[in-house]
Amino acid sequence: MTGSVRTVATLLRHAWARHRVPLLPIALAIGLFQFLLTRLVPAPNEVNWMGSLFAMLPEQMRTLIGNDVALTPGGFLALGYSHPFFILLLSAWIVRVSATAIAGEVGTGTMDVLASRPAARWTFLMAGMKAVLLGLAVIVGAAWLGTAIGLRVRPVGITGTSLLPIAAIAWLLFAAFGAIGLLISASHRDAGPAIGWTTAVIAGSFVLDYLARLWSPIARLRPLSLFRYYEPQAIVASGTPAHVVVILVLTTVAALLAGLAILARRDL
Amino acid sequence: MTPAIVTADLAKQYGHVRALAGLSLRVESGEIFGFLGPNGAGKTTTIRLLLGLLIPSHGTAHVLGAAIGPPGTATRGHIGYLPGELSLWPGFTGWHTLRFLERLTQQPAVDRDTLLERFGLSDADLRRPVRTYSDGMKQKLGLVQALQCRPRLAFLDEPTKGLDPLVQQAFYDALADARAHGMTIFFSSHILSEVERVCDRVAMLRAGTLVASGTIDSVLASQRRRVRIAFAKATDSSSLDRFGDVRSRTESLLELLVARTDVPELLRHASGFPLEDVTIEPMSLEDAFLEHYR
Repeated sequence: MTGSVRTVATLLRHAWARHRVPLLPIALAIGLFQFLLTRLVPAPNEVNWMGSLFAMLPEQMRTLIGNDVALTPGGFLALGYSHPFFILLLSAWIVRVSATAIAGEVGTGTMDVLASRPAARWTFLMAGMKAVLLGLAVIVGAAWLGTAIGLRVRPVGITGTSLLPIAAIAWLLFAAFGAIGLLISASHRDAGPAIGWTTAVIAGSFVLDYLARLWSPIARLRPLSLFRYYEPQAIVASGTPAHVVVILVLTTVAALLAGLAILARRDL
Repeated sequence: MTPAIVTADLAKQYGHVRALAGLSLRVESGEIFGFLGPNGAGKTTTIRLLLGLLIPSHGTAHVLGAAIGPPGTATRGHIGYLPGELSLWPGFTGWHTLRFLERLTQQPAVDRDTLLERFGLSDADLRRPVRTYSDGMKQKLGLVQALQCRPRLAFLDEPTKGLDPLVQQAFYDALADARAHGMTIFFSSHILSEVERVCDRVAMLRAGTLVASGTIDSVLASQRRRVRIAFAKATDSSSLDRFGDVRSRTESLLELLVARTDVPELLRHASGFPLEDVTIEPMSLEDAFLEHYR
């Protein structure tokens, strides 16, 4: 193992030691949430009743929920992957890990003890990104496991496997937010402002996507929101568009490269 | 032998604020080097520049033969550092902290057990989270993490801060061991008696500028002497004022700070006065320090 790889591994263990406690309740909560949703999936004899209820909603609300797709088991369960509760818990992980990775260590003064070791600056960013990705994998994995177990307990005609692409795109979306969070963290001297800005980016992106779907004058701004590229029900209906994967991966890489450039040139 | 530290015109500027101005310094391998200066003089800035934590505005520096910054990353495995304002992770135990920093240093902690014993940190202490430590215990843990891997060079910024006299003595013993192992110590302190006691050479900074450096003896030798002349009867001694700075005067006593080279001339002139007593005191490091920073 080369020195840098060993350093990243050591820093990753350091991040794990700092963040493992909240990871478990987040994963459990999100898994339970998705499991409970499988109990609410409309059975075939309930679809007509649900459909008439659905028709009474305003058109914008129907659009937000996913129109007729929401009445299918896959579409209904996909709602759980764009539900604010799901978004909130994933965001909490991203904000916590990315803000503390650099700005938090600088702000508390512990970066002096870390960066005076044979650890290149980029290893802090890479370890932070790995912590983000692994934590996301645990949380999104728990969500999917909740769905899969729920569908085994209460079969509704689909398997958990059909929802795996949604989990994968959720992982990619929040990986991109994680990279942006690390970029923000690399630019700040304290965790507080880094937490504020990362939260603002995620919340702003969510709100922009929400409003742009409801209000046509700003519909053209929707591509500026990363949530534009995360449509669980569209994935259920027509699969995962390749451009979505490309955009999310490119955003992640671009944010990481910008973070590396900033970190290499700043005082710690 | 490669010097442990060489800087050339090293400078750090924060906007319009000059934290360090053109520092040129050489610290030889195996010496204990004292770095003196009042708060804000640039001591910590210098150390943080040498560790690659800050980006220099100007100049160059080499630590253990490697340029500071990215080229010096691997070299930092042979460097120990105790920050002046030590921060550790409150939730980690002492053991966890030491083992984590050992792994990050990528060197075995060959001196950890000796240091723990010397500083009186027990296994029970190290099993507790750092948040429960007193300032003194935290400082002891900081010293252990800085020295546990027997670095070739250690930067110790105010190392005895918060230590009781017994532990201070243990620290001086640890420094003696470090010296025996050929370790170079870059030692920043406000406690001048301590610097005088343990350091081979010193440098003094004022407002980011180096004002003196050399062996303690040479720094003291270059300082002015305190000359006290007592007269046998009331005397107008104003003609002696030109030899130095008058610190106090009465009709029968004159106290001056005089350059070493001017002392013989002063004595020759003073011999024409009704002298009762003359004392010439070498300046202590503290006097030299105050002389520079008044």
